[in-house]
Amino acid sequence: MLEIIRIHNELLGTYGDRGNADVLKYRAGLRNIRSRIIDVSYMDPLPITGDIYLLGGAEDAAQLLSLTALRKGSILKKAANRGAVVLAICAGFQILGTKYLTREEEIKGLDLLDVVTTPGDKRLVGDIAVQSDLFDFPLTGFENHSGVTTLGEGAEPFGYVRQGNGNGIAGLDGAINKNVFGTYLHGPVLARNPEFADLLLERAVGSTISSVEDEIATRYARWRRSLLK
Amino acid sequence: MTSLPVRFRFRLRFAIAVAKSASSASKLIGNKGETLSGRILLAIEPEAISLLAQNKKVILVSGTNGKTSTTRAVTAIISQLGAVATSRSGSNLAWGAANALMSSAPYAVLEIDELHLPAIIAQTDPTVVLLLNLTRDQLHRMHEVKRVADRWHVECAEALNTVFVADIDDPFINYATINAINVVRVSFGGRLHPDGAVCPRCGSYLTWVKGNYSCTCGLTNKISDAKFKKGSAAYRNAVLANLVGEILGAAPVEFAESDLERSVTKDFVGKQAHFRLTKNPASWREALQGDLYPDVILLLNARQVDGIDTSWLWDLSFAALRGHRVIVCGERALDIAYRIHVEGVESSIATSFEEAIALTEEVNVSVLSAYTAFFELVM
Repeated sequence: MLEIIRIHNELLGTYGDRGNADVLKYRAGLRNIRSRIIDVSYMDPLPITGDIYLLGGAEDAAQLLSLTALRKGSILKKAANRGAVVLAICAGFQILGTKYLTREEEIKGLDLLDVVTTPGDKRLVGDIAVQSDLFDFPLTGFENHSGVTTLGEGAEPFGYVRQGNGNGIAGLDGAINKNVFGTYLHGPVLARNPEFADLLLERAVGSTISSVEDEIATRYARWRRSLLK
Repeated sequence: MTSLPVRFRFRLRFAIAVAKSASSASKLIGNKGETLSGRILLAIEPEAISLLAQNKKVILVSGTNGKTSTTRAVTAIISQLGAVATSRSGSNLAWGAANALMSSAPYAVLEIDELHLPAIIAQTDPTVVLLLNLTRDQLHRMHEVKRVADRWHVECAEALNTVFVADIDDPFINYATINAINVVRVSFGGRLHPDGAVCPRCGSYLTWVKGNYSCTCGLTNKISDAKFKKGSAAYRNAVLANLVGEILGAAPVEFAESDLERSVTKDFVGKQAHFRLTKNPASWREALQGDLYPDVILLLNARQVDGIDTSWLWDLSFAALRGHRVIVCGERALDIAYRIHVEGVESSIATSFEEAIALTEEVNVSVLSAYTAFFELVM
C-alpha cells in the first residue's frame, strides 16, 4: 500500500495544492497500484512510514505554524534520507530550505534542500512554465508568491523558467535533492502535468510503472502547454 | 451641498453635469453607463465621494460572498425611510460608489469591493457598515485573506462614527472589527470556515469545536451581541440586512431565501436554465449543497474578475454531482472536467453554452456559472 501523506492541508492548502495527492492516488489506481491518502493535521504526529509526502502553499502565519510542527523529531528529513519522495510547493518549498527570512526575522528551515528564501519587493503572480531536465517538454503551472529563493551549492534547480518568475532569481525554479522536489508551481502542478505525477510514483515504488492513456489528463496538459508563448 | 465651500461646489456640480451627460451618451450605445460616469466624476473631482457623502446617511456592504444580493435587501429595507441611492449593477469599485452618490437621495446603500472598502469608509464616514464574510477569492488580486482582513482591521478602528454589523462566526470579520468603537457582533451559532485554521489576530492555531472557534488571545465567536439560529448564507444575510435596518429605525422586511441567492432562471430555446453564481470555493460549496436538477451545466471562465488561477477547484468536492448528467463549458471547461474526472464524475465537454444546453435532456437545467459568464448570459 502506497502511503501518500498530505501534510497540514488546513495550513498549507491556500492554493489548491491538495489536488496533488488526489492526482497521485488516481494515477496509481490506473496502474492497479493500491494507495491511500493520509491527511495529517497540525495536531497529528507526522507518520514516518510515508512513501510520498506533500506540502502546499500557505499564508505567512500558517507557513510558520506548519514549520514549527514539522521540526518535532525531524521526521520529514529522516524519511527523505531513506528515499521517500517529498514534493513541496511554494511556502512548503520555502520551509524545506536551510532558512527563510521574513521582514522581521530569520527562521531556521527543515534543511531538506540547500536553499534560502528572502522576501522580494514585488508579488510574482501569473502563469508559469518551467523546463526541467527530467522532461522533454515544459511543465506549466500558476505562481503566486513574493519570495526570492537562492540555491546553495548542494541544490540543483528543478528547472529553468520559460515563462513567469519561479525562484525570482537566475531564471530558475525550485530545487531538487534526490527524491525531494521543491517548486513554485501551483495548478495543482500534478494535475497540469500528469507526467510529473508518474515520475513521483516511479520514484516511490522504485521501479518503472506501466504507461497509461488517460485521455482527458493528456488533453488538459497538452492544451495548457500549447498556450505557452 | 450648502455646507461646502464655493470652489468645491462649483467643481463638483460641473463634474456631475459632465458625468451625467457622458452616462446618457454611453447608455445610447448600449452600455449601462454607471462605470463611465463614475470614472469621469472622479477624474474631474477626485474628492467627489467624500463631498457627495456629506449630506447622506451612507451604508456600506462588503464581504467575499453575498454583497450584491444583501445590498439589494438593505436597499429594500431602508427604502421604507426615504429615497435610497444605490448601484444596481454590482459595480462595487470607487467609481461605482461615486456614480451612485450623485443621486439626491438622503440614503445611500453601496456594495463595496473588499480591497476598496478601507478607502471608501475613510471617504464616506458611513453610518453603518455591514461585513458579511471573508474567504478565498481572486487570489491573484487579493493575495491572501489575512491581508484583506489586516487592512479592514486598521480602517475599522479609525471609523469613530460608524456602527459595524459584523458576522463574527467568520474569524476574519471578528478580527477586522475587534478594535472598532461601535460593533454589533452577530453569531449564528458558528460555522466552519474553509480558511480559518490560523487565528488572524495572533497567528496561533485556532481551536474549532462544531463551527465555534476560540483562541488563547481571546478571539472567539462565543461572545456576541446578537445570537440567531443556524441557516443558509441567504438566511443569514437577510437577518444581517434587517439588523442594519433596525439601527437606522426601519421596520424588518421578510425575504424569501431565493431573494438573497445569486440565482436567476432564464429561458433558453425552451429549456429553463436555473443559473446560480459560483465564483469561488465558498459559493461553489453553497451551491453544491443545494438542490440540483438531473441536468447540470458547469460553466468556468478565468478572467480577471473570475480569478485567473483555477487551482481552487481542487479544494472542492464534486461528489454531489454523482448521478447527474454533467456538461462542462466555458473558457476553462477542461480544468473542471479533469478535476471532477479524478473524483469519479464524468462529463461532456461543450464548446459553447448553446451546445451545452443542447446536450441536456430535461426541461429544467441547473447552471453553476462563473462570474463573467453569469453577467454575459443572464444580466
